[in-house]
Amino acid sequence: MTEPRAGAPCVELHDVTVAYGRRPVVWNVDLTIDSACLFGIIGPNGAGKSTLVKAALGLVPLVGGEVTFFGRPLSQVRSRVGYVPQRESVDWDFPVNVTDVVLMGTYGRLGWFRRPGDRERRLARECLDRVGLADVATRQIGKLSGGQQQRVFLARALAQQADVYFLDEPMAGVDVRSQERIFRVLDELKAEGRLVVVVHHDLRTAAEWFDRVALVDRRLVASGSTAETLTPDNLRQTYAGHIDVLDDVGRAIAARERTP
Amino acid sequence: MTWGDLSHNTLVVAVGVAAVGFASGVVGSLCVLRKRALAGDAAAHATLVGVAGAFLVTGRRDLVTLLVGAVVAACAGLGVLVLVRRLTRTRDDAATAIVIGVSFGAGIALISGLPAWGYPGSAGLEQFLLGHTAALTRHDAMLLAMIAVGAIAVVAAILKEATLVAFDESFASATGWPVWVIDAIVVGLVAVMVVVGLPAVGAVLVTALVVIPPVAARLWTDRVGTLVVVSGVIGLVAAVSGVAVSASQSRLATGPLVVLTASMLFAVSLVIGPRRGVVARRLAGLQRSDRRGLVDEPGGHDA
Repeated sequence: MTEPRAGAPCVELHDVTVAYGRRPVVWNVDLTIDSACLFGIIGPNGAGKSTLVKAALGLVPLVGGEVTFFGRPLSQVRSRVGYVPQRESVDWDFPVNVTDVVLMGTYGRLGWFRRPGDRERRLARECLDRVGLADVATRQIGKLSGGQQQRVFLARALAQQADVYFLDEPMAGVDVRSQERIFRVLDELKAEGRLVVVVHHDLRTAAEWFDRVALVDRRLVASGSTAETLTPDNLRQTYAGHIDVLDDVGRAIAARERTP
Repeated sequence: MTWGDLSHNTLVVAVGVAAVGFASGVVGSLCVLRKRALAGDAAAHATLVGVAGAFLVTGRRDLVTLLVGAVVAACAGLGVLVLVRRLTRTRDDAATAIVIGVSFGAGIALISGLPAWGYPGSAGLEQFLLGHTAALTRHDAMLLAMIAVGAIAVVAAILKEATLVAFDESFASATGWPVWVIDAIVVGLVAVMVVVGLPAVGAVLVTALVVIPPVAARLWTDRVGTLVVVSGVIGLVAAVSGVAVSASQSRLATGPLVVLTASMLFAVSLVIGPRRGVVARRLAGLQRSDRRGLVDEPGGHDA
């Protein structure tokens, strides 16, 4: 899983606008990410962060603009793009076990009608090992904790063996131990030369975790390295009306600067 | 009639009905996992218009003609359902209720209007309302069985894809699967099974044979593959025993008997099913008190 990446990870959003019905949700977003890193998409609730990611993945239609991966449209490079949807988006009562879900990450490469074989099962086991869930491989997914469920989704994405990953609120409703494990895996992915894009709403941890961030509030407020982007001024623009969170962030950033 | 009197014809019909029951359970699994049970109901109620329409247009009432009419009507009903939902932003349940009401009303109106158009009685078409296998010929039963086997083969072929879409539509879509194609295949299979079940179970109750078996099977297993097979077996047992009882008491319509048998199997599963049956849950509840504290908070959260 550590072979050299072909070409730098690159996602380009050009003038992206998304609307639900006639109500625009995100507009005129220009964003280029061209190196392996942990990239946070940060903003208040309802800012359109998830929508932006779904639009990039073709899950909601663009009203305007264009998205390219490695300079090509998504349809040509699907197998290089991994996805972790929000945990709440599925029914955890569904009659599948942990391994079944992780194997779904291999379906894209398998294509129509071919069933997962030994190779896929081995890969699924490795991915489960990586997220620390090898011991619940045969458990029905509803019998897991929230953090374990999130790690199952992460393992499924690992099984996609992609070069760019999108994760939608992977730390939401997740216990601290799972958060640490997830973060460690994301860090490993970065070290392997992959790009990891994370939708995240907690400003305090954002300052700690991400190399680069984009601040989004229906439009792109600012983007760049975390230290340069999470400035009081940018945050005020992004979180107008959510001022209470800013003090926390100020403290978190200050703490980070003290311990480089 | 006793079991000793079973003629060759009765046996063939029984085999046909068994295949239809099994296939209904198998196809129903995909339908229920995808949470499309109501779509099956809409298709089923629409079939009556097709049966009556096919008879009025062709003047023939052999099974093939009537069932072709039923398939066309079932697909039209599903098409209208999709259109109503898309174009008028009516919610799913309301749109389904509209399709069921309108198509069923039209079907009943057509059938009850037959005498007025010079046909004696309702030309036997009312049998499609509640099901009646006595009139089924050996040839008909073989045809139904063959279609049922075909439907099972399609499910076997697309089980992986259909499971993926049913579990996580957005992941399926993000990884390049054409969700609407897979959905169309599943709904198409349901329409076919509803039509194939029509002679035995009737338009009013045929969805029950598609929906009850998988719901009962879910109480026995936590795996899709097993669920499909168990559901098929429950459908088979329900269909065969319903038809057998109705054959021995020929004044009883088959459909209600089939559905009552299926419901009984569901009730049994509810009590003794090892996965979340009442008994199993009690036992799990006793064990859980030992495990408490080991599992972290499931925890909810805003989007």
